[in-house]
Amino acid sequence: MAQHVLYRLLLAVPVLFGVLLLGFLLLQLVPGDPATVIAGPMAPPAVIEEIRRELGLDKPVIVQFFLYLVRVLQGDLGHSLISNTSVIEELAAAVGPTVELMVACLVWSVPLGIAMGTVAAVRQGGLLDRVIMAFSVAGVSMPIFFIGLLLMQYFGFVWQLLPFIGRGGPLWSIDGLRHIVLPAVSLGLIFIGPVARMTRTAVLEVLRADHVRTARAKGLREKTVVLKHALRNALIPVVTLVGLQAGYLLGGAVVTESIYSWPGVGRLAVGAILSSDFPLAQGAIMVLALAFIIINLIVDVLYAVLDPRVQRS
Amino acid sequence: MATTALKATARRLLAGGVCLAAAGLVAAPALAQSITVVREVDSDRYDPHRSTARAASEVLFMVADTLVSLDYDMQTVKPGLAERWEVSDDGKTYTFHLKDGVKFCDGKKMTAADVVYSLKRWIDPATKSPVAWRAGEVEDIVAVDDRTVEYRLKAPFSELLYQLTQSFAVVIDQATVEKLGGDFGVKGFNGTGPYCWVEWRPRNDLKLARNPDYNWGPPIYENTGPAQVEEIVWKIVPEENTRMAAVATGQSEITQYVPYSTLNTLRANPQLLVSQSDAAFWTYFAGFKIDREMVSEEAVRQAMVLAVDQDAIAENLYFGEVEPAHSYISQAALDWDKDLDDKLIRTDVEKAGKLLDEAGWKMESDGFRYKNGKKLSPVAYSFAGSTWQKLMEAMQGDLRKVGVDLDIQAFDATIAWGKMATQEFDVFGMSYPYISAGDALNLYFRSANTPTPNRMNWKDPETDELLDRGKAALDPETRAQAYGKVLEKVHQAAVWIPLYHEPMKLVQTKKLAPVKPHNIYGCGLYKGLDIKFQ
Amino acid sequence: MNATIEDVPQRRSAFRRLFRDGAALLALAVLAVIVAAALLAPWLAPHDPFATTRQPLLPPVWNEAGQWAFPFGTDGQGRDILSRLLYGSRLTLLMGLLSVAIGGGIGMVVGMLSAFYRRIDPFIMRVVDVLLSFPAILLGLAVAAIFGTGVTAIIIALAIATIPDVARVTRSAAVVVMGQDFMEAGRAIGLSDATLIRRYLALNCISSVFVFLTLRFGQVILIGAALSFLGLGAKPPSAELGMMAAQGRDFLFFAPHVATIPSLTIFLIVLCANMVGDALRDVLDPRLRR
Repeated sequence: MAQHVLYRLLLAVPVLFGVLLLGFLLLQLVPGDPATVIAGPMAPPAVIEEIRRELGLDKPVIVQFFLYLVRVLQGDLGHSLISNTSVIEELAAAVGPTVELMVACLVWSVPLGIAMGTVAAVRQGGLLDRVIMAFSVAGVSMPIFFIGLLLMQYFGFVWQLLPFIGRGGPLWSIDGLRHIVLPAVSLGLIFIGPVARMTRTAVLEVLRADHVRTARAKGLREKTVVLKHALRNALIPVVTLVGLQAGYLLGGAVVTESIYSWPGVGRLAVGAILSSDFPLAQGAIMVLALAFIIINLIVDVLYAVLDPRVQRS
Repeated sequence: MATTALKATARRLLAGGVCLAAAGLVAAPALAQSITVVREVDSDRYDPHRSTARAASEVLFMVADTLVSLDYDMQTVKPGLAERWEVSDDGKTYTFHLKDGVKFCDGKKMTAADVVYSLKRWIDPATKSPVAWRAGEVEDIVAVDDRTVEYRLKAPFSELLYQLTQSFAVVIDQATVEKLGGDFGVKGFNGTGPYCWVEWRPRNDLKLARNPDYNWGPPIYENTGPAQVEEIVWKIVPEENTRMAAVATGQSEITQYVPYSTLNTLRANPQLLVSQSDAAFWTYFAGFKIDREMVSEEAVRQAMVLAVDQDAIAENLYFGEVEPAHSYISQAALDWDKDLDDKLIRTDVEKAGKLLDEAGWKMESDGFRYKNGKKLSPVAYSFAGSTWQKLMEAMQGDLRKVGVDLDIQAFDATIAWGKMATQEFDVFGMSYPYISAGDALNLYFRSANTPTPNRMNWKDPETDELLDRGKAALDPETRAQAYGKVLEKVHQAAVWIPLYHEPMKLVQTKKLAPVKPHNIYGCGLYKGLDIKFQ
Repeated sequence: MNATIEDVPQRRSAFRRLFRDGAALLALAVLAVIVAAALLAPWLAPHDPFATTRQPLLPPVWNEAGQWAFPFGTDGQGRDILSRLLYGSRLTLLMGLLSVAIGGGIGMVVGMLSAFYRRIDPFIMRVVDVLLSFPAILLGLAVAAIFGTGVTAIIIALAIATIPDVARVTRSAAVVVMGQDFMEAGRAIGLSDATLIRRYLALNCISSVFVFLTLRFGQVILIGAALSFLGLGAKPPSAELGMMAAQGRDFLFFAPHVATIPSLTIFLIVLCANMVGDALRDVLDPRLRR
């Protein structure tokens, strides 16, 4: 197991390197000369020359990459081409809302998904199972923007129950809570499907396992068997598998943030790309990639710790 | 400054709270004193001398003041920070007498030195302000005493007072500029406006708190201060539909940025009020680069102007909410030449075809015109994005009817400006705000202003001379006459296809007292002194 | 043991079982209709999908104000939604198909090579692990940032995102095949590596890969549509379902059909693809269940 953890940690190194390379490429492949882009349309040649020297753009690419690494490791991701604010600062302000949104989504969708999956497994083949599984397939097939737009139209516009523009403030304030409901529900709705599915599979597997059969044979009530023996054992793979869906969640979050003007990293990234703000786009994509890597790493290690069967040669 | 403003607000809120508590009202009406204005785009920064975006001016008018202000008619100059002013007989010296008791948001007293600093920073080559020309040819600006500023010009500049009403001419605090350096107008701001800068989160929102000591507002407002709401939040919402819904559901109290397609729906909403300013001084046009082979013939350009159906565009694309343009500036603008009213080119497809025939462009079987084997297919550079995309496509459709194949090439705004500074296109799309004929003509038709903003390459010594004459005119008649002649020349030469004049329309909740839309630089709320809850 | 002989009856019964699954069959039929309609778009479309009319935001026929000339109504520029839907499905399906085919092809080759040449296996699998660390949406954002927005950018991103998963699936299937006797036999009679891979390995992995790609197809379309919705994909005036939904967003509150109709179409396509994929997996390759 220690070996597995070590492997995942070692693997994170080339991945991290890949992310950095990606960030570097993003800046390198700017159409036109990066110095000109950074300097802005009205800068005189001398200023452009100075920026070129400052960024080391007159040096070979390898050296440039090294210089870039040094800058990034010092926490300098450059400045936004549009607002001239430091990219790190803009990102720092955006990370909070994104985490908030993800937590608010997971907090209700994961328990609900697990409950639905368990019920479906227990009633395998029955009507309830079919309904839940149909719901799950539909959820997985639904474009997230469609859910977002529908909720916004009805709950926000037609019935005017909830606000749908931006963040209302900290989560502990009433306004903050009201604002997060629609985005969190939209994002959660696409997440219930996969969770219910995975739970169903896991619980089914456990229900067939020996110790559950023994428990049943001992004449324990079905409810006790399911809740105490089956679900508990099934939860380990489910919780970790939920983590493995981080990419799916991330994609949903990017779209959700954009629909509800949620000031998170996803909206920042999309906005930056659409306005050709390369330093900011680079920073936002790197932060998203980094978050994904960290989540994966934690989940991997957790999986290994919780499930001793995982072995790595 | 941000913290000061916050403290001031906090003090007021506290005081208010005490009063209310004393009155036995424990509810917090202070919250209701905040209004949210949704808008489409943010500015790159809020430095009056470096930002030319409308988004910047909207905020700058609120956080800072100008020496003189502009009335709703867009023609009358009224007092601002200056309570009165005199112009010397030769038109070269303007003497401004400042109001007493004006203070910056941080509590510091504003003096003539601050005015001088701000105006000089505007024209200082080191500032690299793209709008320094708007200040005229300055010889010197001096503080005669604490409350008197002398603005000395090398040559008379009849536009000066109008230019000084713009957000580029606001008074800012030197200490703050120097302290913040590159972060001025990004991390903080210090002006004398009715509202004070609190915090800006680029592309999200910008918060302003009211300046409780403000009482020097321009006389165009009934309320000259202080402002009547505690807080204004400018919120960026790029999606048209969401902005409309924001006003309809009360998440935004007022905005000018709602799609035209929804205005009728909003008018039918009993909780909302849609109001309009009659002065539509923001014009959309397509310009010709007149020395390019394809569009160098006047007849060809005239035919293209004749072919475009502005009325249909206004009706179909903008649901009849904009004013179709046949003139290059609004016919209500200062110094518009009324004699031209009857001479403007109106849509006439038949005549367009005849003109092209006569010019030797023959219609071929593919429905397009050719001359010497060359297809009449002008290249049009345009901004990407829905507004211009739709406009260009509509023009393309109209031009196709007379056999012209408009080749549209759209660029993202970040690249488009650079592309439009080149010589590689025949037609370009642009829109711009102005205050008067002189403002518009001096910008676009001076030979010295090629390649931008004179992207047409309109180089005509007579025009330059007339513009100089208009600019230096000491009386309104001479000025109007000179500019009128230029207007006539350029309209005759068909250097633009005017498309539409954008009116100023405000949508607001009826919880607010009716706000009268202003059209200065397209900033409907201007100083925001009349915004208050009913 | 000769695998090919064994396989035939097994597969036949598998298809029979598939046909007994009513829901999956229905999904397959719907999918076939949509694909056919998309392919025949130039003949089926009642209008030019790009031609604007003077009747913007016309509601669909089930609404009182609807007109039969425009069964699904018109969009913000007066273009016929049905025609755009047909052309849009075409582009969306093509986008999904191309990225799955390209990514699947490369992934399969990588997976087989990895299984065949054990020496390079660890290296390839490490690279695959690294690639797996980038979710598709992120690749989409990155590719759009580098090469600019457009359909091509999306296809590239989605193809890259498909490679590592397919490589893994192929490898695990191929490793099993590698242990079979016929591979040894083939080697013994002097067949070249290329022949072995092509004739035996590929043939025996293809069903696993195919099932996986069917399941993947829906996801790929969803991500592609999401990227288009965000403005990073297809550009106007071309028609793509995600982009059409994004354009409809401008009129959501008073002409919801402009956004809802393309969104529902995406939902239908993905739902059918997922149901068919699920059924296929159950009968063909139960190993993929987890």
